[in-house]
Amino acid sequence: MSTALRLTQQEVDPIGGVAAAPLVLIGSILSAATSIGLTAWHWSEVGSPVAAFAGILFVVAAGAVATVSALPARAPFTVDRLWFAVALAVGAAIAEYVSTVGANRYLYDDYGPLVVGVLILSLAPFSTWISLLAAGTVAAAVLAILAIGSAGASATQANAAALIAVNSVAVLALSAAGAAYSATIVRESLAWQREANAIALERDGGVRAGIVRSVQQGRVSVLSREVLPFLAAVMSAERISVADADRARELAEMLRRALKAGIESTWLDDLASSIGAARQVPIAVDDPAATAARLRSEQRPPLTALLSWLSSAERSESIRIAVAAEGGGEIVRIDVVAAAGSASPSRREVERFLAVARAVGVRGDLEITRENVRVEFRYDA
Amino acid sequence: MTLGLPEHLAKASLSRALASAGHAAGAVCLASAMVIAVASIVVEPVGEIGPDRQAAIAAFVLVGVQAALFALVAFHPSVTLTVVYLLGGTAVVYGLTVLVMAPGNGFETTNNALLAMPRTALLLVGGAGVGSRIAIAWATLGWGLGEAAAFLGATAAGAAWAPNAAAAAALGIVVITRVYDAMTRSDARRETALHRASQQTRELVIRHDYELRAIARLHDTALSHLVAIAASGSGPVDERLRTAISHDLSLIVGRDWATEHAEEAEASGARTGPGGANAAAGASLGTRDGSAHAEGDPLRAGRGGPTTTVAAPTGTAPLADAFGVARDAGLAVNVSGAPDVLAAVGPRRRAAIEAAVAQCLMNVARHAGVDDVEVALGRADGEVTIVVVDDGRGFDPERVPDDRIGLRTSIRGRIEQEGGRARIWSRPGVGTTVMLAVPEGGE
Repeated sequence: MSTALRLTQQEVDPIGGVAAAPLVLIGSILSAATSIGLTAWHWSEVGSPVAAFAGILFVVAAGAVATVSALPARAPFTVDRLWFAVALAVGAAIAEYVSTVGANRYLYDDYGPLVVGVLILSLAPFSTWISLLAAGTVAAAVLAILAIGSAGASATQANAAALIAVNSVAVLALSAAGAAYSATIVRESLAWQREANAIALERDGGVRAGIVRSVQQGRVSVLSREVLPFLAAVMSAERISVADADRARELAEMLRRALKAGIESTWLDDLASSIGAARQVPIAVDDPAATAARLRSEQRPPLTALLSWLSSAERSESIRIAVAAEGGGEIVRIDVVAAAGSASPSRREVERFLAVARAVGVRGDLEITRENVRVEFRYDA
Repeated sequence: MTLGLPEHLAKASLSRALASAGHAAGAVCLASAMVIAVASIVVEPVGEIGPDRQAAIAAFVLVGVQAALFALVAFHPSVTLTVVYLLGGTAVVYGLTVLVMAPGNGFETTNNALLAMPRTALLLVGGAGVGSRIAIAWATLGWGLGEAAAFLGATAAGAAWAPNAAAAAALGIVVITRVYDAMTRSDARRETALHRASQQTRELVIRHDYELRAIARLHDTALSHLVAIAASGSGPVDERLRTAISHDLSLIVGRDWATEHAEEAEASGARTGPGGANAAAGASLGTRDGSAHAEGDPLRAGRGGPTTTVAAPTGTAPLADAFGVARDAGLAVNVSGAPDVLAAVGPRRRAAIEAAVAQCLMNVARHAGVDDVEVALGRADGEVTIVVVDDGRGFDPERVPDDRIGLRTSIRGRIEQEGGRARIWSRPGVGTTVMLAVPEGGE
């Protein structure tokens, strides 16, 4: 199966997924309002008030399920949640049909198709285009059966095919819209990622040359200051004195300590010192076993982005990061605790980073108090 | 990489995605309208009244025209085609309103399902340009024109006009999604700055990689000399040490020594500097049938089987630097297998193997307390394997102090950076075996 068929916007564009979550709530509220308004509108046709109220309750339940399922904290959204929400919405359409059975003059003022369609559309950022289309088609099939059942009471005397088309057009149109949105945004995101990867690889070459120079300049400066003059002196001397041997021992120890520190540091230490120096926010990393090195390349940017963001705009006064392997080395746990600064971040803002982390297989929990922002990442190594 | 769309692309991409959504919904509306028209042509009405067949054919043609224009503007969204579609669609809505609102069809006002379909497709034009404002403007224009056409059509048909609720709902959905998109699109992406973070992370990883290489090189050169000087105590400078220091200083100063690229290694091997180890000329590699060298030759045949005798290294010969290190340290190397198996790996990988083998030989010379060492080379299962064996003092690998970093950086680190593995077996009093294996190929 093609990659694009199996992916959602939430997976390929996690920030877009987080941004779209409130839209599901808006869709749910509009659906509930529509069901109440249209039930009142055709109340004269309602034969079973219980079914009418049940229909509205089903709409509210479907909206609640959709909204809660799409919350960033519950990412990733799964296809069974889509089907559950759609099933409840279809239940609402059936309840509405039961409430007006035998007296429904116009299918046009039924809320069922619209509610199903709006819910499917609002879940488009979280679902694959194929599952959206499948959900829409199945719902439309159920609505077609209801349309045939309503034919006897129709004021327009239209034929069954026309009634089916009228009753399913809203759900089919909105499902198609959702599917087209999902397919387009996934396709565009993947195309951009391919392009970005190619650019990054190309750029790495240039970066590499600059980094090699700065690395060796750094090391050479250490060497040239202490070690190189000493070695050069020994090379040109006739004899090695006791003082030379002592000095060599001392320099060897010094160099060994420096090398050991270099080996045991990881990209996270380098990141902390780089951000700390640039932003004037102290960042302490406690990673005695160099566990941060076990994070995969795509799992590092969310943590980098979070640290960079937390350390800017006075969001934090200081940051502590503890990295440890747990469960016999199976789980890598990264604890980021930021002492809140004058502009402490909101939960919603930090959730974005967790959403991106979830998209690359890193689970995360967030705890915000007045004093601290605590983010815990867990990754099954 | 799963970082999503960057800020500068999000506007265009989301706008295109929303326009595609509108086009898909509009296409379904028009297709449904055509299905209803066809059904009205081919199926007899179920009651006494119903749609007129001639009117149904006319409606089918009108919807077909709108669908053709819609497809044009969807695939070629230009201002001209958008305007053509809006004007053509308005005419279609007018015509359909006249047909649908004819007496006998049972519709009380223009607020009905049949007119909702072309009306909705009219406002879902998408249109030329990118961004929420322009999209809302085109949609509103489509809705307004459709409403005006419905009003005129209803007047012509003598029917009652009422705003179409479905079309208004569709406009509402377009406006809500577009406004929401415009409000939320940029801030989150800009503040999260994921792509900048990704770039920064890549740079950090590259830097760390080079630092590890630099550390390995430093360990092999400066640190080993310092240790040798400290161990030698007072007395005349050993000539081999003097030569080795001179060689390494020439490698370090003024060159890109941190890269360890093979071409540089080769260049250094080819260079004839004062006292440079690689300047030693007369290297040759030849295969003999296990016969031993003349007394005093530091590199002699192996303990059994077909072996290769290395008289002296050259800069380009396999393991030349490593054997040079052994020779300088007074260590005889018994080689078995063909050193040219190293031709199966890329230059950088080969340089890493050679440096790791050199460190192994250096360790044997310093710590094993023996005068000879076995080096076996082989190639199997897509890997090149080199085994260095000595019968010396050995050590307990579990008890190597933390601050001894030669095994970690100069041997294991180098090999693992190239996707290979290094295994070490050693027991005090028995000897040490180091096996280095790297995949064939590589850079």
